[in-house]
Amino acid sequence: MNPPRVDKLRAALSEGNWDRAIAMLQKVDPAVAADVFQEMPFDQQQILFRRLPLDFAAQLVAAFPYYHAYVLLHSRPVEELTAIVERMQPTDRIQFIEQLPEETWQHLMDELHAAPIAAEVEVPAPAPVVPAAPAEEPIIQARRVEKRFQRPDGASIQVIAPTDLSVDPGMILALLGPSGSGKSTLLRMLSGLAQPTAGEVLWRGKPFHEATPNVAIVFQSFALFPWLTVLENVEVPLLARGQEHSERHQRAIQALATVGLTGFENAYPKELSGGMKQRVGFARALAVEPEILFMDEPFSALDVLTAENLRNELLELWQGKRMPTKSIFLVTHNIEEAVLLADRIIVLGRNPAKIRADFRVPLTQPRDRNSAEFLLYVDYIYKLMTQPELEAGPSPAGREVKPRYQMLPHARSGSTAGLLELLNDRGGKDDIYHVADELQMEVDDLLPILEAVTLLGFAKADKGDVEITPEGKAFAEADIVARKHLFRDAALSHITLLQQMRKALESKSDHRMPLEFFRDVLDEHFSDPETQRQIETALNWGRYGDILSYQSESDEISLFEPHALDIAHEAREH
Amino acid sequence: MARQPLPHLSNWNLLPSNVSSLLRDLPIILAGLSLFYGVLSLTRYWTGPVNTQPEIQLHPGALPVYAMYSLARIMLAYLLSLIVTLVYGYVAAHNARAERILIPLLDTLQSIPVLSFLPPVMVAMVSLFPTRQLGVEMGAILLIFTGQVWNMTFSVYSAWKSIPRELQEAAQIYQLTWWQRFIQLELPYAAIGLVWNSMMSVAGGWFFLMACEMFVLGNRDLRLPGLGSYLQTAANAGDTGAILWGVFAMVLVIVLMDQIVWRPIIAWGEKFKMEQVEASQTPHSPVLNLLRRSRAIQVAFQKTVGPAREALTLYGARKHLSSHPVGGKHKLRQWIGLTLGAIASVGLLYAIFKMLVMLGAISGEELRGIFAGAGASFLRVEFTLVLAGLWTIPVGVYIGLRPRLSAIAQPIAQVAASIPATALFPIVLLFLIRVGGGLGVGSIVLLLLGTQWYVLFNVIAGASSIPTDLKEVCEVYRLTKSERWRRLYLPGVFPYLLTGFVTASGGAWNASIVAEYFRFHGQTYTTTGLGAVISRATDSGNFPVLLGATIVMAALVVTVNRLLWRRLYGLAATKYKLES
Repeated sequence: MNPPRVDKLRAALSEGNWDRAIAMLQKVDPAVAADVFQEMPFDQQQILFRRLPLDFAAQLVAAFPYYHAYVLLHSRPVEELTAIVERMQPTDRIQFIEQLPEETWQHLMDELHAAPIAAEVEVPAPAPVVPAAPAEEPIIQARRVEKRFQRPDGASIQVIAPTDLSVDPGMILALLGPSGSGKSTLLRMLSGLAQPTAGEVLWRGKPFHEATPNVAIVFQSFALFPWLTVLENVEVPLLARGQEHSERHQRAIQALATVGLTGFENAYPKELSGGMKQRVGFARALAVEPEILFMDEPFSALDVLTAENLRNELLELWQGKRMPTKSIFLVTHNIEEAVLLADRIIVLGRNPAKIRADFRVPLTQPRDRNSAEFLLYVDYIYKLMTQPELEAGPSPAGREVKPRYQMLPHARSGSTAGLLELLNDRGGKDDIYHVADELQMEVDDLLPILEAVTLLGFAKADKGDVEITPEGKAFAEADIVARKHLFRDAALSHITLLQQMRKALESKSDHRMPLEFFRDVLDEHFSDPETQRQIETALNWGRYGDILSYQSESDEISLFEPHALDIAHEAREH
Repeated sequence: MARQPLPHLSNWNLLPSNVSSLLRDLPIILAGLSLFYGVLSLTRYWTGPVNTQPEIQLHPGALPVYAMYSLARIMLAYLLSLIVTLVYGYVAAHNARAERILIPLLDTLQSIPVLSFLPPVMVAMVSLFPTRQLGVEMGAILLIFTGQVWNMTFSVYSAWKSIPRELQEAAQIYQLTWWQRFIQLELPYAAIGLVWNSMMSVAGGWFFLMACEMFVLGNRDLRLPGLGSYLQTAANAGDTGAILWGVFAMVLVIVLMDQIVWRPIIAWGEKFKMEQVEASQTPHSPVLNLLRRSRAIQVAFQKTVGPAREALTLYGARKHLSSHPVGGKHKLRQWIGLTLGAIASVGLLYAIFKMLVMLGAISGEELRGIFAGAGASFLRVEFTLVLAGLWTIPVGVYIGLRPRLSAIAQPIAQVAASIPATALFPIVLLFLIRVGGGLGVGSIVLLLLGTQWYVLFNVIAGASSIPTDLKEVCEVYRLTKSERWRRLYLPGVFPYLLTGFVTASGGAWNASIVAEYFRFHGQTYTTTGLGAVISRATDSGNFPVLLGATIVMAALVVTVNRLLWRRLYGLAATKYKLES
């Protein structure tokens, strides 16, 4: 690759000199061309893509991520779309089509079959040349921010790996990740609430404490002061800015009017429903006219309908430019919510948190939850989140990472059985987002269960699908007693912690041990609350699988022996 | 409460203009005037020369004045407690280094029986202000203060430590100033706990006040004119009519306090509850409604508190906005802190050294006396608790399981518990002496008097909170009576019983000081016990024994609290918690 040539290409693109740009694009490596192409605003990508010769378009499509390729392809008429797909290399075409989720694939097939294949078409009438607006510089920039928690013994546990992240103006950015992945911690570091352990956060190029950042947060729990009226709550931040009574009053009333809460000024928060309370939270945030509005799972404490309503109203305000905010930073664990709202999505991985994917969602608003494009993105994110090996970024080179201790998902034995039964009923294989949809579960609740069944070898997750294994099928069809045996076998052959517990207990003459010992072992690998969750899960699985028993009073575990129950019972009686 | 100050109307429009609102405001205006008179006459009395031989008059007409004196002491002590509470709690909650010292200290102070300080503090204060009545008064107020401040401080501290994270973050992200954060977040968040603990503290304050007011040490008469000394004098004289009048006045004052002060405050405090939905049943108070509807109060509020609060907050905000954090200032403060800390530690070491020297002066026989007394007091207190448990558990469960009965019995038990046992000591003693018993049996009766009510109303509360479905389970599976007790009633009331016992145990230790050494009919009645040792040592000026005995008592109570009650508490909070 030739850097000067790429720079020239970039220059041509930013000037909107399409013909020259197309000529130059064809001269560089397709992978590089695809990268440069994707740097442009999406509407310009569409304009340019429409003008590409079919053969070159086919080459370029193969180099795009499949979800991006799919959306770009649809910026051309159906017959051209069919022609481009026809001209792709057979291997590329198969790979592209295979990656699509079921609905999207079906949709594409229908389109391909319906349309006659076009011959080489003449380029459509030239679109007016729009020079790209100069990219505005990011408002917040995080450089290698990192969070570690100090353990009492001096060692530290990394919860967020060094991360680069910038918040650009003019977009809604969604940060997605499973629970416990450090999304909220990252939000708190970006908003200035928490200090990173290493690295720095810049506000318009200056360190946070030197700048005067103007941000607001909408909290999951609303965080309203229950002893203040709605109006007083909205006035709180204005009072902190030293505004006089009349000015404050006017601004607060205006903010309340924006979110449709006039008439409730003198109500106390406890008189309001959850949705109304979150409106007050919005009004309080909007009253300070923040440049960046941070939202920490703002809809997850609300019921489904209320949440949907509020989401739509937020979009309306945002699109109608009726809020003075330059950009919105949304933390969520709801995949559909992210795809519905965001212009850019960042997916975080867990333990420690790091960015696994960072991509744009170029769909036009309002978005249709049932459209093929929408499902394409939902499916892609499920794929990312269920496949640990699907790493987006390169792993940190240099220092050797010590092998990780196996981490148990926080799922109850009962819910794993429920998921396997459902899978078995549905023929043993299904798309993960279908399962989530069927169970009305959010990814946060479903993922741990999914991880549990894969960890136990009862199912396999692959490319957004989940498939039951013979062991899983046997489990789903077994009766209560036989299930316990199957679970025991699976747990003892796959779960490190349970294996260790059993081995340790067998080596002791009285077959009992304080649980504290295993807490200490886990403490070396996990943070305190995570250790607690690991222990809870291990006890739940171990007890269900008749592997061990646990006495909460003495905080001891012992080897499960059927007759031991009677003894323990008698001992308690006397 | 002024929610929405009316903008810029002429002052006259705000004043009450019709007769009905004037009538409504009349009681409030009269209350204000009488308060002013009370303050004036108290000042005159306190700055007067010391009243060496207080004359306590027994005719009922003197009672209002005595009640006022008692009330004033309680109020002053409470005010002092409130100020100390807010400062101590704030420092402990906001400064991690101070917290490490302040909280264990608080925990210890909280469990020391304050009355063990009664004899030495009274004597010390009198010698500090020998010519003024102020000395004895200050002694009483100081004692009441030490009795009531710790649990208030603890409640404020723990409230401030448990402010939900997101509320704190909201305060941080919207850059609330120190003052705004205090007024709009911290104080409201601690309000409910503070109100309930204030109520408990003031009830406890009566207990100490009665003991202080009737305190006579050997031939030194340190009595203060008040309800306590009135009751004691009446019992001394064997005047049944005066005793009845005194008890009546006592109950009246307590009930009035409850209705006029605490009920309204509790009803008002409802708005500080951290609840998401409005509770279906909320406490309400007619007095509060009267105050809320009163135009005069509203006007006064809008003219004073409203603008003052606004001005203060705006001033704070502007100062905060214009100031920039400077590193040097921080460093200077650190230096000052370090220096003060060093001075305090040196002083502490010196005090400990002097104390050890003084303790060395205790003879072997005196030491034996202290430990024998400690043993006797310990047994007496625990025996009293067992006795109290024996009758209150069956009776309490019987009442608690019958909703209609407990609706009647609960308030009675509450009023009975709120009458300070110390007020009744002279009366009980009078009775006992007539029957022919000494203080040996008498002290146990006295202790029982102070402790049983706490246990009773806690057991009633526990039994009435046993879920119906569990009772129905017992019915369905035909559990026998003894099985029901073992499987449901006892485990069900256990956490409540424990709360009752912990409170009662503290009360019993305090009462033991007064109950073991009592001057009556010109004669000193004593029995073996730590309280008696302390009083006698103060009387004879034997400071080493006084110090030793006080330390032993404090250590004993703290140890029992840590080893027994706290463990049981842990058990109650986990295993015996009835979750619905």
